[in-house]
Amino acid sequence: MIRTRHLLLKLFLAALVAGGLLLVYLDAKITSTFVDKMWELPAKVYARPLELFVGARLGPDQLAYELEVLGYRKVTKTSGPGQVARNRGRFEIYTRGFAFPGEKEPARRLLVELGGQRVQELTVGGRDIDLMRLDPVQIGGIYPLHGEDRVLVRLGDVPPTLRDGLLAVEDHRFYDHAGISFVGIARAAWRNMRSGQVVAGGSTITQQLGKNYYLTPERTIVRKLTEVMMALLLDLHYDKDQILESYINEVYLGQEGPRSIHGFALASRHYFDAPLNQLGVHQQALLIGMIKGPSLYNPTRNPKRALERRNVVLAEMAQQGVISPEQAKAAQARPLDLNSKARVRNSFPAYLDLVRRQLRQEYRDEDLTTLGLSIFTPFDPLLQRQIENSTTSVLAQLNKGGELESASVVTRFDSGEVAALVGGRDIRYAGFNRALDARRPAGSLLKPAVYLAALEQPRRFSLATTLSDSSVKVAGPGGKVWEPRNFDRKEHGDVLLYQALANSYNLATARLGMDMGLGLVVDMLRRLGIEGTIPHVPALTLGAGEYSPMDMAAMYQTIAAGGFRMPLRSIREVVDAHGSPLKRYPLEYERTVSLQATNLLTYALRTVVREGTGQGAYRYLPANFDVAGKTGTTNDGRDSWFAGFSGDLLAVTWIGRDDNGSTGLTGGSGALKIWAHFMAAASERPLGYRMPDGMQTFWIDERSGYLTGKGCERARLVPFIEGSQPRQSTDCAPREGGPKDWFQSLFGG
Amino acid sequence: MMIRERALARVAAVALALVVAGCSGVDTRETPPAPVVTPPPTVSPPAPVAPPPRPARPPQPSVSGAWLPLVQKAEQATARGDYEQALALLERAQRIDPESGEIYLQLARTHRARGDIAQARATAERGMLFCSSSAQCDALRAFGR
Repeated sequence: MIRTRHLLLKLFLAALVAGGLLLVYLDAKITSTFVDKMWELPAKVYARPLELFVGARLGPDQLAYELEVLGYRKVTKTSGPGQVARNRGRFEIYTRGFAFPGEKEPARRLLVELGGQRVQELTVGGRDIDLMRLDPVQIGGIYPLHGEDRVLVRLGDVPPTLRDGLLAVEDHRFYDHAGISFVGIARAAWRNMRSGQVVAGGSTITQQLGKNYYLTPERTIVRKLTEVMMALLLDLHYDKDQILESYINEVYLGQEGPRSIHGFALASRHYFDAPLNQLGVHQQALLIGMIKGPSLYNPTRNPKRALERRNVVLAEMAQQGVISPEQAKAAQARPLDLNSKARVRNSFPAYLDLVRRQLRQEYRDEDLTTLGLSIFTPFDPLLQRQIENSTTSVLAQLNKGGELESASVVTRFDSGEVAALVGGRDIRYAGFNRALDARRPAGSLLKPAVYLAALEQPRRFSLATTLSDSSVKVAGPGGKVWEPRNFDRKEHGDVLLYQALANSYNLATARLGMDMGLGLVVDMLRRLGIEGTIPHVPALTLGAGEYSPMDMAAMYQTIAAGGFRMPLRSIREVVDAHGSPLKRYPLEYERTVSLQATNLLTYALRTVVREGTGQGAYRYLPANFDVAGKTGTTNDGRDSWFAGFSGDLLAVTWIGRDDNGSTGLTGGSGALKIWAHFMAAASERPLGYRMPDGMQTFWIDERSGYLTGKGCERARLVPFIEGSQPRQSTDCAPREGGPKDWFQSLFGG
Repeated sequence: MMIRERALARVAAVALALVVAGCSGVDTRETPPAPVVTPPPTVSPPAPVAPPPRPARPPQPSVSGAWLPLVQKAEQATARGDYEQALALLERAQRIDPESGEIYLQLARTHRARGDIAQARATAERGMLFCSSSAQCDALRAFGR
């Protein structure tokens, strides 16, 4: 008997010690993590804000799309932020405002008048506005692996009816109890007993919070006990408002694909596409009702059940005096009022991938997912929509079977900013990102490097230098002989340098490259911005190696910018959770190639689309719209490339197959079509002509390459680095008349 | 009543670790399921559409009114030594009007003011492609000497 008592005492003491240790452990855990954890925030990634000013090029459907992606609500008369009323080209936008780094854009009612694809008028309250920005589209977040998203809200910003309604339904004695509620438990037990089934939970808001934060979902007695202790400890350490604020930001309210929706603010955005403070009582009640069973009462999947639950909540709110019975009745008569359109957020996986990679070079994963950073990018939703549209519609024409893949990179070459990116034909799928990870031979896309290296030697080469397009054999290592052929299997004899590039003649190019030496070609590719491996083999002159569309964008970016290399940027600025700038990624130029030689090369690249392998571009572009570019095709049509630029945009497009099979396409019959379709719709400016110092134009006979007279047969105007013009002349004297060539028109002469 | 309940509850904390009873409240809440990564549904390509006809281009209106205030703010930022802010403002101005020699000149001056001569020179050299008056061209050219 005594022994038994002894044993019981020992057991009791052991349990007491164990319980005490558990308590100490939990206490440490709560105090060390509660505050930090509350404000753990994934980095938010923003698109460029749309700049509005009189004269900005913008069509009504573009502005409408931007506002749609931003989630502005269409109304007949705007009454609050986040609304738009449109009448044809006239938009009344009640902007949301945005705290940009260094400048706060206020929320205001803005009048935008569009006409002729431009902003004609921009006013606020009758006053003209010089310049303003819409809020930027959030294109995604950098989430931790467990896939949470957060939008945080301060308790003071929670609508009173939502807050009181929440307490009325979930825990009406919240401000009175100590974390757990015996009354609540007893009441729940009583109700459960009476109804013979589980109708009520006894958990207080504090208990639920502890559970959400720290516990795993299994249902055991130990876990239940831990939950109760945590609730008591939370209540001991934090005041009621802190706990309620946490709960409001933490409560689980459903799933969006792989990510769970935590907190009322995020749920509001998800289900109603509106900020929390703009919800009606009926919408607030729906969210409150969902706590009990986020998937059971999911309004999209189970609208009937959700509506019933919402009305029960409204009745409870009225009974407890949160709202009047009349309000409850009116709210019960309302529909669910869900956001009906498809989510646009996070549907740009290829671009986000690019941003993430750039971020990970400088930030730890942990910082990206917890510090609440804001990442401002140059991503342009309007250009993205266009390149996606061009990709899908051209691929649908080219490829009924669906085995063709495609990738594109679009940059604004004046700043080197990446504006849009397509990683595969299935644009919403966050899979293999071909724009960054495809490794393909570049075909003739590399040829400009050979010609540029030549044109940097004005004593030896000009656009009018005669090259021989005749068969060539090069002995390689191991006695192997490299013998390239032209696409048409013919030799073209003597051709002028610009013609060899315009028609993408392989023999002339291989000869030119071998004549100068491969070292110069490799060096030029490096200066143009190719950073990966470059094979030192004769076939390099015709595009041997492995390159991604992004590599090609880096190379053509330098050419488009006129010989200035700049890093391709996908981030403008990183700002911390308090709005202070952490890091800016500045615009930086480095002139790595001769300005004059680049200008000459651009002349040849213009010839490609006017007279050479890229002429198909003008099936899409207006005849007077100047662009420059280059086609690329690899053996057996495995890869179809096009890279080129207008006056504002550079785009590189690739079409191929993941199994490296033949596409049956050339650069001109495949990728060029996507490129030109895109440019025709998206580019704002044709390529202008700006002659650097130290250059002159001359009339050249396009057969012999000799100087000739204006108006003579086969005469064309060609730019030269001063002193590099031909020494020989035809005997034709200048005369009036004769057709104007495209280059001459650039000078208006 | 309220105070007594709170006090009682706190005392009960340790005891609760041992007592199983009193936990009759059965949890009926759902907990978040483990995240499942599902690829979004594939989008079938729309029927091919010919690109819209391009309207005749009206002459480009001057947009300098939009960016001049930014350049002025940048000058103020430079004057107080906040070069980062000045460059950020000028880059924004340049995005609005990428072909303005004036903005290039201001960028080059700001780089020089912060002591980055190489960047000032490269910026001015590119700006010379866009200069619109001989004074502006000369000012840009001067960076190269």
